[in-house]
Amino acid sequence: MKPILLQGHERSITQIKYNREGDLLFSVAKDTVANVWYSVNGERLGTYNGHTGAVWCVDCDWDTKNVLTGSADNSCRLWDCETGKQLALLHTNSAVRTCGFDFSGNIIMFSTDKQMGYQCYLNFFDLRDPQQIDDNQPYLSIPCSDYKITSAVWGPLGEFVIAGHENGEINQFSAKSGEILKKAKEHTKQINDIQTSVDLTMFISASKDNTAKLFDSTSLDHIKTFKTERPVNSAAISPIMDHVVMGGGQEAMEVTTTSTRIGKFEARFFHAAYEEEFGRVKGHFGPINCVAFHPDGKSYSSGGEDGYVRIHYFDPQYFDFELEA
Amino acid sequence: MPSIEYDDSKPSWADQVEEEGDEGTLPSPKEIIKGNIKTIIDYKRDDDGKKIKIVRTFKIETRKASKAVARRKNWKKFGNSEFDAPGPNVATTTVSDDVFMTFISSKEDLNAQDQDEDPMNKLKGQKIVSCRICKGDHWTTRCPYKDTLGPMQKELAEQLGLSTGDKDKPAGSAEPEPAQPAQSKTGKYVPPSLRDGGTRRGESMQPNRRADDNATIRVTNLSEDTRETDLQELFRPFGSISRIYLAKDKNTGQSKVSVHPNNTKSCLLKEGIYYVHLDNILTLEKKCIMVQPSHPSPVHFIFLQGFAFISFHRREDAARAIAGVSGFGYDHLILNVEWAK
Repeated sequence: MKPILLQGHERSITQIKYNREGDLLFSVAKDTVANVWYSVNGERLGTYNGHTGAVWCVDCDWDTKNVLTGSADNSCRLWDCETGKQLALLHTNSAVRTCGFDFSGNIIMFSTDKQMGYQCYLNFFDLRDPQQIDDNQPYLSIPCSDYKITSAVWGPLGEFVIAGHENGEINQFSAKSGEILKKAKEHTKQINDIQTSVDLTMFISASKDNTAKLFDSTSLDHIKTFKTERPVNSAAISPIMDHVVMGGGQEAMEVTTTSTRIGKFEARFFHAAYEEEFGRVKGHFGPINCVAFHPDGKSYSSGGEDGYVRIHYFDPQYFDFELEA
Repeated sequence: MPSIEYDDSKPSWADQVEEEGDEGTLPSPKEIIKGNIKTIIDYKRDDDGKKIKIVRTFKIETRKASKAVARRKNWKKFGNSEFDAPGPNVATTTVSDDVFMTFISSKEDLNAQDQDEDPMNKLKGQKIVSCRICKGDHWTTRCPYKDTLGPMQKELAEQLGLSTGDKDKPAGSAEPEPAQPAQSKTGKYVPPSLRDGGTRRGESMQPNRRADDNATIRVTNLSEDTRETDLQELFRPFGSISRIYLAKDKNTGQSKVSVHPNNTKSCLLKEGIYYVHLDNILTLEKKCIMVQPSHPSPVHFIFLQGFAFISFHRREDAARAIAGVSGFGYDHLILNVEWAK
């Protein structure tokens, strides 16, 4: 396969996300710009300009109308997807680490970092109520005093948010009451990424403890573990195959201090049921920070510490391949 | 003749033709659409001021998509891409080299790959591990002689500020073989001349090492003309000698002159090769070299001398040799003999 290389960022990529149909790919990086690309040919549709700090997270709603970004400039911004115009600006006390639209696209959540004397909050806004935006007053704000949230996604039916913490804990926060519905502590180190399966019944967590784990979204039951020998920065579940792709590598700060082995920067494919690795794709020359499957399962993208996003369309061999069990 | 009209900075008329007369401007980019193939020809100047022609071919594809997707495909570009032409902008989108998914089909492959990825395992398999102290097939930190030979080597190598390339030479002196350079541990290629070739006596020596060790003496302040036979003559009267190691310069075959700290005895500096890192030398006098150690400590005056290790079969013999030869004048120098620990 010939990957399409997207060079829209000057610094390392922090998150990439497809919209629901997968025709658009959003990418954010530690520079201030959020990019949106046509995934089919890598053409850049536009950029969302306005942030003044590293952008940590991006999300797009169900009908690709609005885009949400959270940044280290202590703000979370809502954009019009088509024109790139800023619709809302929500100031926070500390950097916004994760953000997301619920299934309806009406409720947004974002979490802030424990930083500069402020603790970590998980905030919920209802976009149908302009007063909340104008007053910058979330209808629900959950403080997380112990360990900050490092990754979060909406659970099924918009009832709760699944949040991964820096100590490896995974919690379900109710979007209505704010209470913790369920807890799981299967990881020993920070959760770097959480991504749901296409039907939201499962999610995969990527952790610094060198593993990625598959969980049931509702019960938080631990289903599968995928082991590597490097911190996992991101993991995604294939929508059509029983496959999982993982990206990782050394921590960026360690790259220069240890011997260079390019092999560690590969995207690694695991069979979801057998927990066995069956394939690798090279390409990035730094750790992979984020991976995402196209919703049709026929391509996947990865964003790396090297600042590039690569869109890979799978070869036919990928679909023919069967793991010898 | 066209060549006459062109000035000398032009490489050849062939290049000149491409420029179509006008020197300053680049031909404007062309875009040709032929069937479903679009060709874009671009001109650019590289760092040397030469013109580069870039030809890119695109395939135009029509795909069926859902209404929402099709509508989105016709959205106007915005933000930093506002003025981009339809189609991918080459500044932001490129097609990179072909990559293939490497399939791992069976467990064996997986394990092999894992092993291959772990440099430690690789070393284990290839028996590359070599102790810096005794050359054994184990890590330096696990060397049984670590406590005995280790500190001595450190003293010789570090304090003296010997250049890295040669510091193993005196270090290996406790053993018949000169120690391998440190980098051999990392699995790098080591030229045969640096391997444990020449002076190596084979693995059969190994079991005796511990015994030898107790009866080894160090002779310092040797003159560089000293040969092994001289030492044999000198020490044989005290008992049977199991081995003699004389630090030698591999180029001249003369005994190597090393520098020794805290030695107040003077010795003459002769012409020879002195393994002292140049950065460390402050002054060069006739009798000694003043060395500035790399770590903060007083300046040392150190004296140049050759040295040897002599192992007796019995410790008593070694003890008698120390008593007998220490302070003995040999050549023009006074020998210093002590336990090799």
